[in-house]
Amino acid sequence: MGYPPSVVQKCSVIISEHSGLSVDSPVKLMVESSSSGGRGAEEGRPPPRISDATDRQENIIQGMFSHSGTSQTEKSQSQRSQDHEVPESCDKVQHQTSTQPCGTKLPNGHASLNAHEGTERDFPKSTNPTGSYLNSTEDHMMANGELSADSKGGAVSSTSLINQSHSEITLPPQHGAEDRCSNTQDSVIKSTHGDEGELCSSDSPSSPKHSLRTFSSSSFFNTDSAPLSPDDDETFSTSDTPDDLRFMDVSLNSRNTYEISRRQSAPDNIPGVLSVAAADLTLSQKKHGISEIFSRNLFSRKQREAQSVPGWKLFGKVPLRESPPKDSKTIQQEGNPGNLTSVSTPNLLSSGEYEAKVSKSSQSPSLPAQGRRKNLEFEPLSTTALILEDRPANLPAKSEEEAQRHRQEYDEMVAEAKKRELKEAQKKKKQMKERFKQEESIANAMVVWNNEILPNWESMRGLRRVRDLWWQGLPPNVRGKVWSLAIGNELNITSDLYEIFLSRAKERWKSFRETGSEMESDVDSADRESSLDLIKLDISRTFPSLFIFQKGGPYHDLLHSVLGAYTCYRPDVGYVQGMSFIAAVLILNLEEADAFIAFANLLNKPCQMAFFRVDHELMLKYFAAFEVFFEENLPRLFSHFQSYNLTPDLYLIDWIFTLYTKSLPLDVACRVWDVFCRDGEEFLFRTGLGILRLYEEVLLQMDFIHIAQFLTRLPDDTPPERLFSCIANTQMISCNRKWTQVFNALIKDKEMEKSSSPSVKNS
Amino acid sequence: MDILWQYQFRIILLGDSTVGKSSLLKRFTDGIYSDVADPTVGVDFYARSLDIEPGVKIKLQLWDTAGQERFRSITTSYYRNSVGGLLVFDLTNRKTFDHVREWHREVSEHILPHHMVYILIGHKSDLSRDRKVTRDEAEQLAAELGIRYVETSAKCNSNVERAFELLTRDIYELMKMGEISTRDGWDGVKSGLTAKVLYPAEEEAEREKSCNC
Repeated sequence: MGYPPSVVQKCSVIISEHSGLSVDSPVKLMVESSSSGGRGAEEGRPPPRISDATDRQENIIQGMFSHSGTSQTEKSQSQRSQDHEVPESCDKVQHQTSTQPCGTKLPNGHASLNAHEGTERDFPKSTNPTGSYLNSTEDHMMANGELSADSKGGAVSSTSLINQSHSEITLPPQHGAEDRCSNTQDSVIKSTHGDEGELCSSDSPSSPKHSLRTFSSSSFFNTDSAPLSPDDDETFSTSDTPDDLRFMDVSLNSRNTYEISRRQSAPDNIPGVLSVAAADLTLSQKKHGISEIFSRNLFSRKQREAQSVPGWKLFGKVPLRESPPKDSKTIQQEGNPGNLTSVSTPNLLSSGEYEAKVSKSSQSPSLPAQGRRKNLEFEPLSTTALILEDRPANLPAKSEEEAQRHRQEYDEMVAEAKKRELKEAQKKKKQMKERFKQEESIANAMVVWNNEILPNWESMRGLRRVRDLWWQGLPPNVRGKVWSLAIGNELNITSDLYEIFLSRAKERWKSFRETGSEMESDVDSADRESSLDLIKLDISRTFPSLFIFQKGGPYHDLLHSVLGAYTCYRPDVGYVQGMSFIAAVLILNLEEADAFIAFANLLNKPCQMAFFRVDHELMLKYFAAFEVFFEENLPRLFSHFQSYNLTPDLYLIDWIFTLYTKSLPLDVACRVWDVFCRDGEEFLFRTGLGILRLYEEVLLQMDFIHIAQFLTRLPDDTPPERLFSCIANTQMISCNRKWTQVFNALIKDKEMEKSSSPSVKNS
Repeated sequence: MDILWQYQFRIILLGDSTVGKSSLLKRFTDGIYSDVADPTVGVDFYARSLDIEPGVKIKLQLWDTAGQERFRSITTSYYRNSVGGLLVFDLTNRKTFDHVREWHREVSEHILPHHMVYILIGHKSDLSRDRKVTRDEAEQLAAELGIRYVETSAKCNSNVERAFELLTRDIYELMKMGEISTRDGWDGVKSGLTAKVLYPAEEEAEREKSCNC
């Protein structure tokens, strides 16, 4: 369906801020942001896919148009809600201006009506402009074009429309509304020339409703916010979220949706045709939901359609029509019927833009600058239509120069908005693409691991290509197995042995419980006892955000068992804080006995032993070796740290003890473990350097305490790919010596020092 | 960066594992409390400023140590560079109270010939029903050690600020009396930028004089 670009009249829509902008704002802009942004965002609903959107739009449109005027009530209701993809602010606006509603909702027809209704109800003080607006033939802002259609009769129709409460703005049959419908994509605000009926009339065949719908859809599309949900029946006043700073997208966005749309990025969520929204509406009665969907769908559809229909462009710029200062202007579309963008864009101001525009204009002093700023932040997510309205008649007219300036500013805003939306869209697309790529590669890798590598572990593990694949990260369901195999079982622990230690531990716990924890027989048992106490306490503190290790959680007992058994197995080591993290991660990936075996063997590695037994001297060697490579790889940062006396122990202890599970996001830590299993302890220190490299610039700006805090709590969004590339760029070579050599040399030095001097001073 | 401050004190929290050192700090610096949080592994860092007097802002660098005995050897090196210490025990856990003496002894020995300013903290005062240490006992111990005693609850935010304030004030008083001062190579106390407005040239000179921390 094509949506003929109807002439869109700009209606003076007084959009006042929720906070009660004076209705007298000289410049009223109808802002419609595409609903794409908001849709679903607040609901947490996933954005509908474009195809869906389109389909839905179709349905909506169909639905919309299928009703005859009267029977349309329901539909209109839904429509309305949908149409009311008006940003919250819109609602507000609506309320505040009697005329506004009309304008804003125009796209939906209903919307305007409703809005209008609401407005009138709620804002007695709405001035005339809106009211009169409605009545003025020329100045109707037809959100849906419907209005224009309605305004065919000029004011009268609009008025009547407006006066219909939520009933949809059933367009009088005269609206060949169909074309409106076809406007799914266009948030064309058909200018409601009093007599233009033609506005919508051209294209689509269907019922008036159709056109109405079209109109609304167009507004929808242009608005970012999702259409009002059916619940938003009562015009915008029902919007729940007051947002004073938000400009209401007069037409399409419900308050909520505005927010939503704001958050969304455009293209995917370009509000589709109203029809889509309508369809959605019927599905969900949720306040935001439908509108969101609606708007979103509408938008997407619009976009798609825009692409397919010749002449329709998203964000096409529509030249503002000169009009006498007192009249509201409607942005006219380019001559091209198919020019969706031109229709929509000019018609619907994204709320943000609108607000910006409004705030910019000196004529709307009441708009707080804040509002503008805020809106600008939330620039229209999808196609937005900006409507540059004339000042209401009851205000002093703009000078030509001023008007010109405003038009210019308006143009700029539109352009900006477009740019931004496109960028957002692109970014999002890229992200999706990357994600798919990743998932695909994991799936492929899984096949290779399962079919080729694991069955021939010993022979394959050293191969170049296996190591490369390993570096990419183990697919989650082979991870445990590979870790198990890589860590090995030098200690020859069997699951039977595990059971034995576990039962010993259980006995001990029982006896402690019976005799009371206050009992302390000897140092050893005291230590053991406190170990056990500590285990219990630590378990509840392990990964609290995952909720699985806490008491009552699915893995609580498991973790308790593994750690308890370990203290029985290695009373010389006992339990040390930090272990719970390691055991927890193993439990997440392995069966109980296997987890224990891996745990015991892992802790038996030299580095882990040194740390968990707190062999201070040995630990210092590790730190010293680390510093050698630190200085080699990141000299600037190295001296920065030195100037603060920020020694490696201050961050390495946390990192090494917990194998990064406390400081890095869990999924990233698992990646680190993957390669740690492949490369050994050296990799732990290499990772440390990778982290420092990744955040080098940031760290160079910080002082001691901030660096220290930062390093023990790395950002949650630490990007694994970038981290790994930093790690890859870290060369563990210093003066031609590798890690092991450096480390051993340090050990030897110490030993020599020890043997040569009688008194050894601990550092 | 921080706003201008006169001094920076490094203060360390000492005490057995799970007495609530981290919670105290989180409450003091972030104003939040959570029933569960990660165990401290090694050392954690917090920071906050206090206006101890009009025109005197003290930046507090707070080191939160792992309480487990195992970590003692690591944390001892941290004692040395601290000017103040909160000795924390859990009012509902007698053992942790009994260990206070030990903590005090160990730390004091390690930092000789220098001294640390301590304050004794009886924490988890909100769990009054599970109290295992009386106020009297604790005050007695405090008197013995020559230090103050404060009962706190991070959960209810009771006396938390007061505890840190008292300690900071004590340190500051000693500084005014000349008993404590900045030292080269010692991170316990550092003096910071003064609040006066400096012209670029002056600023250079000034900066050279003061320590950069």
